[in-house]
Amino acid sequence: MKWKTTAEPSAEPAASGWRRRFIHTLLYGPNVDRGAKSRARVGLAILAFALGYSVIALRLVTLAAAPDGHSVRRVSTDAVSTARPDILDRNGDILATDVKAASLFGEPKKIIDVDEAVELLTAELPDLDPVELRERLSSRKGFVWLKREISPKQQEEIHRRGIPGIGFLVENKRVYPNGSEVSHLIGHVNIDNQGIAGIEKWLDGRGLADLHMAGLATERLVKPVQLAVDLRVQHALRDELLRARDKYQAIAAAGLVTDVRTGEVIAMVSLPDYDPNNPREANDLTRINRLTTGVYEMGSTFKALTLAMALDSGKISLSSSFDARVPLRYGKFNISDYHAQNRTLTVPEIFTYSSNIGTARLALALGVDYHQQFLKKLGQLDRLRTELPESAEPLVPKRWAELNTVTIAFGHGLSVAPLQAVMGINAIVNGGLLIPPTFLKRSPEEAAALAARVIKPETSEKMRYLMRLNVEKGTATRADVAGYYIGGKTGTSEKVIGGRYSKTKLLNSFTAVLPADNPRYLLLIMLDEPKSTPESHGYATSGWNAVPVGGAVIARIAPLLGLQPRFDLPPSEYLILAKGGQ
Amino acid sequence: MAMRLLNIGVIVGLVLAAAYVYDIKYQSTLRAERAAKLQHDLRRERDAIASLRAEWARLGNPRRIQTLADRHLSLVPVEPSQFTDFERLPERPPQIVQPAGADPIGAMLDDSADPGFFTGSIDSWQPKAVKP
Repeated sequence: MKWKTTAEPSAEPAASGWRRRFIHTLLYGPNVDRGAKSRARVGLAILAFALGYSVIALRLVTLAAAPDGHSVRRVSTDAVSTARPDILDRNGDILATDVKAASLFGEPKKIIDVDEAVELLTAELPDLDPVELRERLSSRKGFVWLKREISPKQQEEIHRRGIPGIGFLVENKRVYPNGSEVSHLIGHVNIDNQGIAGIEKWLDGRGLADLHMAGLATERLVKPVQLAVDLRVQHALRDELLRARDKYQAIAAAGLVTDVRTGEVIAMVSLPDYDPNNPREANDLTRINRLTTGVYEMGSTFKALTLAMALDSGKISLSSSFDARVPLRYGKFNISDYHAQNRTLTVPEIFTYSSNIGTARLALALGVDYHQQFLKKLGQLDRLRTELPESAEPLVPKRWAELNTVTIAFGHGLSVAPLQAVMGINAIVNGGLLIPPTFLKRSPEEAAALAARVIKPETSEKMRYLMRLNVEKGTATRADVAGYYIGGKTGTSEKVIGGRYSKTKLLNSFTAVLPADNPRYLLLIMLDEPKSTPESHGYATSGWNAVPVGGAVIARIAPLLGLQPRFDLPPSEYLILAKGGQ
Repeated sequence: MAMRLLNIGVIVGLVLAAAYVYDIKYQSTLRAERAAKLQHDLRRERDAIASLRAEWARLGNPRRIQTLADRHLSLVPVEPSQFTDFERLPERPPQIVQPAGADPIGAMLDDSADPGFFTGSIDSWQPKAVKP
């Protein structure tokens, strides 16, 4: 405006000079150059407008360059429930995967006619309870689930009925294509796709749960997890165990295959098991995973640890002998042998006859502290933690006296998880390295970094010789599958029923190493309360059931594991000991 | 005059630039829609692949295969004695062609058409003990 007033006088030539000067003085002061002042003002105005327009221009550019928001929105409606990584076996076969499934929901506030909606929905989904459905749809909530995971055909039909206030959301649904084949190992998820057991729970513990919380795990951004388990071996083991459980009418059967060099669990079966697609079965207490959540007195299998301790001490050699003529009396306890020989036994004989007296004397010769420390070193006295969230604390006697050493030497009085015992025996046969077991794929280098030396390599060689000898002429002859050079140790322990050891209720086990001269794999078979069969002449000890089952399993899994059968091998004295034992 | 030309030039330039910008904006909207559609298709395909993979794993489940094999095949598990390595294979016997008759090549052709030679079929196959 001011600019205009200054321009006016120049447009109309002045009426009178004094008036002009007077106004000038009033407006600008006495001696001011009006021209310079107005130029400065025009410049300022130009600057202000230029600034304003450049801000608008910049904003236009950013608006044009930035993507519009609706592609982001589409993702969030795509999958409500959380995505999980696929679980693969060691060969890449799928053990668990996600598929998309539609879920039906209702918005009670938008429903016009509840009766009509209930009628139409129950016509399409007959398993919906009409009373409950009506109740849910009449509630004052904004959102209710009506049915999770309906089939695409049902979705199509309901969509066509066009019921107002009813909609679908696509969710991820976890499926286990192999059913109960790998149940305990991979665990299962709940309806909201959160892991509640096994490897599935372990996955959640590794940050997946946080991703879910943030709502970021909706897409397949998670890499598949590869386990150590081999589906084919797992199936073969489970199939043989199912057969064995029927044949010997055992209440439970369990089996474990591990790679002795890496500690990987190649197969793990605990029967009865459950179908992870139907996780309700898992709540049944008889279906627990006996290999990690149960603790057992491992019986004679533990003698392998005692013998290894004795041979590793340097005080006892393979040619030492011990008095097993009379049962060992300890207070009111009387320790006798099942296969009593009633004579002096050498160390290999103690092992092959599975002599309780001899093993007890071996342990006593080294002392209680030595025994305790050795078992501690082998990880038998502490809870074993693996990827599986389920684990059990071993039952260790509170006071460890001589009697405890005597009984623990042959596997009574100390209860450990079978997986734990397998870890110990693994160390004894693989050259003396204790490697924590894992359910994930692991390379030999990674295993070497984790391994801890617990016994000398020579001791390990002697132990393999003893285990092979036991299959050649000991308690485990029925497991000798020609060509695979198996070594093994049987275990028969009497179960404690009402505070007393029962003579008829047995827990049988068989631990096999193959091949015994250069071990690759370890197999554990456990049968809970097997009954005698006609061909076992009334016997129900391990040699008559767990051992033949072990043999049958090995004959099936050895080709799958890529073991080449070898024939015409010399007996164990020459093949194993000649390399430098004794 | 020069000023007027300049003004006209600037106006024409402005109109052209506006048209160009509009075209680019239109193209980019089209492409963004196409990209969104492709992504949607990708997601759908990926979901389809996932369910097919799950189905394939279910069909290839060892228990199912074993049940089918037990029902329909007469195969038995492989014995350890049926494995061997190349060193243990016996030498291949030399093949001697007798120049019998006037037409040895014709005789060879007849031999190769021998109907007594057949590839392994399941019914006729019997497990044989292989001597190591």
